Amino acid sequence: MSATVSPIREPLITGHKNYHQITEDICAPSERTPSLAWVLAFIVAASFLAFGVFCILWTIWFGIGTWNLNRTIGWGWDITNFVWWIGIGHAGTLISAILLLFRQKWRTGVNRAAEAMTIFAVICAALFPGIHVGRIWVVFYFFPYPNTRGPLWVNFNSPLLWDLFAISTYFTVSLLFWYTGLVPDFATLRDRASGLRKKFYNFLSFGWTGAAKHWQRFESLSLVLAGLATPLVLSVHTIVSFDFATSVIPGWHTTIFPPYFVAGAIFSGFAMVQTLMVMTRKVLKLEDYITIEHIDSMNKIILLTGSIVGVAYLTELFIAWYSGYIYEQFAFMNRVQGIYWWAYLGMMSCNVLSPQIFWSRKLRRNVTVTFVMSIFVNIGMWFERFVIIPTTLARDYLPSSWSYYVPTWVEVGIFLGTLGIFFTCYLIFTRIAPVVAIAEVKAILKSSGDQYAGKQTHQGLSHSQQTSVHEPH
Amino acid sequence: MFGLYDDEEILLKAVKEARDKHLDIDNVYSPFPIHGLDPLLGLSESRLHQAGFVYGAIGTLTAFLFMTWVFTRDWPIIFGGKPYWSVPAFIPITFELTVLFASIGMVVTFYAVNGQGPGVTNPVLDDRITDDKFCLSFDVTDSDEGVDSLKAFLKESGASEIRTKEI
Amino acid sequence: MNQFTFENRERTILIAFMILGVVCLGVTYLVDDAYHTRFWSNFLHNSVFVTGIGFLALFFLCASIIAFSGWHVVFKRVWEAYSQFIIVGLGLMIVVVAGLWMHSHHLYHWADPTAVESDPILKHKSSFLNPMTYTLMTILIVGVWYFFARKIRSLSLEEEEVSKFDFEIHKKKTRVWAAIFLPLAGFSSAAVIWQWVMSVDAHWYSTLFAWYCTISWFVTMLCVTVLTLIYLKGKGYYEQVTPDHLHDLGKYIFGFSIFWTYLWFSQYMLIWYGNIGEETIYFKMRREDYPVIFYANLVINFVLPFFILLRNDTKRKTGSMAFISVVLILGHWLDYFLMIKPGVMHTLHEMSGHGHSSADHAEEAHHTAADVSGHAGDAAAHGDQVAEALVGFTYPGLLELGTFLGFAALFAYIFLNHLSKAPLVPERDPYIDESLHHHVV
Repeated sequence: MSATVSPIREPLITGHKNYHQITEDICAPSERTPSLAWVLAFIVAASFLAFGVFCILWTIWFGIGTWNLNRTIGWGWDITNFVWWIGIGHAGTLISAILLLFRQKWRTGVNRAAEAMTIFAVICAALFPGIHVGRIWVVFYFFPYPNTRGPLWVNFNSPLLWDLFAISTYFTVSLLFWYTGLVPDFATLRDRASGLRKKFYNFLSFGWTGAAKHWQRFESLSLVLAGLATPLVLSVHTIVSFDFATSVIPGWHTTIFPPYFVAGAIFSGFAMVQTLMVMTRKVLKLEDYITIEHIDSMNKIILLTGSIVGVAYLTELFIAWYSGYIYEQFAFMNRVQGIYWWAYLGMMSCNVLSPQIFWSRKLRRNVTVTFVMSIFVNIGMWFERFVIIPTTLARDYLPSSWSYYVPTWVEVGIFLGTLGIFFTCYLIFTRIAPVVAIAEVKAILKSSGDQYAGKQTHQGLSHSQQTSVHEPH
Repeated sequence: MFGLYDDEEILLKAVKEARDKHLDIDNVYSPFPIHGLDPLLGLSESRLHQAGFVYGAIGTLTAFLFMTWVFTRDWPIIFGGKPYWSVPAFIPITFELTVLFASIGMVVTFYAVNGQGPGVTNPVLDDRITDDKFCLSFDVTDSDEGVDSLKAFLKESGASEIRTKEI
Repeated sequence: MNQFTFENRERTILIAFMILGVVCLGVTYLVDDAYHTRFWSNFLHNSVFVTGIGFLALFFLCASIIAFSGWHVVFKRVWEAYSQFIIVGLGLMIVVVAGLWMHSHHLYHWADPTAVESDPILKHKSSFLNPMTYTLMTILIVGVWYFFARKIRSLSLEEEEVSKFDFEIHKKKTRVWAAIFLPLAGFSSAAVIWQWVMSVDAHWYSTLFAWYCTISWFVTMLCVTVLTLIYLKGKGYYEQVTPDHLHDLGKYIFGFSIFWTYLWFSQYMLIWYGNIGEETIYFKMRREDYPVIFYANLVINFVLPFFILLRNDTKRKTGSMAFISVVLILGHWLDYFLMIKPGVMHTLHEMSGHGHSSADHAEEAHHTAADVSGHAGDAAAHGDQVAEALVGFTYPGLLELGTFLGFAALFAYIFLNHLSKAPLVPERDPYIDESLHHHVV
């Protein structure tokens, strides 16, 4: 990282922290007894989780008939939710990997929580293909293993199988990446604890000592994993988009789907990170580490990806007209004006129009506005998947089979259940692990702490233009 | 024997001096990676990424050759009027397995060469090394340096604490 | 040396190359068929290619400003100078526009009124694909780009004038203008790419196409930057540009070469998998009639940069970076060659083969087809594909290379000229110190 920091940069760590205070502040939430707010939140999340489990069992017991899918609309809330969750699961790796490669220092404040969120979101997502197949007890047929059926292999040419490989790889690599980053911080917790708690963290920290050679390998590993995770994160949502785009269904078969799905995934992922971060920093009193500057930067990414998604929507519309292909044109007219027009409206207004307010610096730095907007984007991105899936399917080539679809309580229940899984896991995570990467924050303290960086900026002129924190050579 | 420093810059200076004096540094411990330390300590560059490349290449070959074998020899399937050996359709899985093999391989190697793993307990010199202290340690069991001169060196170089601990 | 002097010797050499380019174009014109297809397609190919470099320089400059990026600042004048080329690019495209109005070329099937009348698809598209829209969009969009190029450049120069600690220009003006440009650029680049390049295959369409072209331009722009910096360093300028800057450029080239491949694959795979004749024709034509370039495109633009730039040390060495840059510039030039030539060729056959061209050209057209395709004339007359290799169409010949060198020299001349007009290192940029002390981890 450049040792010299421009005087124009805002500090990323406020409150004149030193190394010890960082440790204290970040470790504190997992060392004190849970607050009432946490307990209440946990109870609510766990109840949702329980209801979700009930609905899943209901589905398995009575079969997929408990959902409102029909012959025309074979994919409904299940795949919509699947794509929605997997999209949310993209921000963590994006923040950690791509921003690491682009050397955006603000990532250190939010990457840990974002990665955790990724893993929980992928768990929620992976649930849907599992139960969607109907006979969950033979779900191991998904995997290519030598069997007594020939051996009959899975169809490696099917995008749905690519999806299985993509998601399991993504889950594994994200987990490894996240856990490896956590190890030094678990060691910090271990060295502050005693008794059973010490044993627990000693186990989790894998015997980390902080030796120079280990740090060197650690950095090498992080960098390569980041390098691997970057194309991986692109590939995952690309392959999800292949599920649709390899077909010949008008509205699905379009070449822009891969990058446009990826942009949408980043967009929704960042929105979910915002939702969680705005709450986390407040509840866990981490405002000095997850600063307004972080929120501002993330809002910029939301604005950027929202606009990319907007360009993609308009490109699709334009090319549908340009193609001169009446079925393609119909598919898009149907989205805009058809029976599900409200979903299209929801998608356009939440995803493309409303993020435009973030052109204003004032609104980008307003926590309440940010929170409301992040919820908007989450809703909008859910609508986007809904528009793509049931809307397109409802009006196929054969008007006699045109159909309409509303979910049953079971489908809604499973969706609420995944929200429960997600928040339960996240709440447990805030109790066990440091929510902010301790070692990484310490490493940027001298370039981005407010007593170092931006000092001259705030105080006006000084003798030297550069706020230099030269690393010794 | 080890000295604890309050700041990484003091530690770096101390390491440099120790190297100049040809003192036999046992190890350096810190709460976060310090840039510019590796060349001072004379650590060679980590070869972990090269191992990662090899693991990745194994993954690529495994995936591609396996699918080729399944669809050209073992159980060919016709789909969408494409040839049995349809390379574009193999790319996604090939890519995923490349990344999977490289990542798992590297992480396992990382912990193996570090001597770490679930349940492993490595001796910790001081609990504050993972908090805010930077530690420079010397092995004095069979060192030809006098313990006193080492102690003097640590003190001179700005260590805030000097302690001896048997491991 | 913070002031670049554009020496007379350099000017002479570049002018010599420009003359070579003009001569090559002239010779192409003379040996060409009656429609001068080879001449015009070469002209379009190179004009689009170099204009894109200027545009992407501006785009990336603005993106860096918005991303609060600091590492590139030491050589940002180079990108500013590239972006000034946009106006010359507009001039080049206006030549294509003029040709369109005067019916001097048949690059675009949709520009032929007779064909549009009898072809329902072209007729449907004619409200977008017509000479008037083409002209207006070209002038308006490239004009807007140039306006922003001027604006960003003048703000950057203005910064040099003010007191050392005043970053108000950067905060209040540069960032705002850069932010306005990005969405405009996002929409407008897609529109001109559809018009200039995609409409060469007037029936075909792909939603990804514009993004794919843009990334091809972007990789080229980065490679040109590497060559520029290496050249200037060789002349003793830019001693502040270190291997660390080269390393970062190398990372970008590496990363975006992979991204380019990703887009290539996404487009190819989806069309291949969907297997709809209207779409697959595009790749079928290219894979079967242009096999060498089709596969060379992937090898040069993906395999080579991937393996060469994978290692860290090759990204820091002048030699390997210069090598891969030259290779990639040629590679992406070939990529554009492959986007434009087959479509133009197809249009020619459509017109001559089916006799859809305007009456006074009809006889000539038959003659033309025979001319162009030589022995394959019979096949061409039936509107079939030409399987035989043809210099200047199926693969570039010496004339194409000479033309390209001419255009490259024009680009170099213009940007070096602009580079000589301002100090090389912007000393008052708020991020300059970060850039001067840039270290790649």
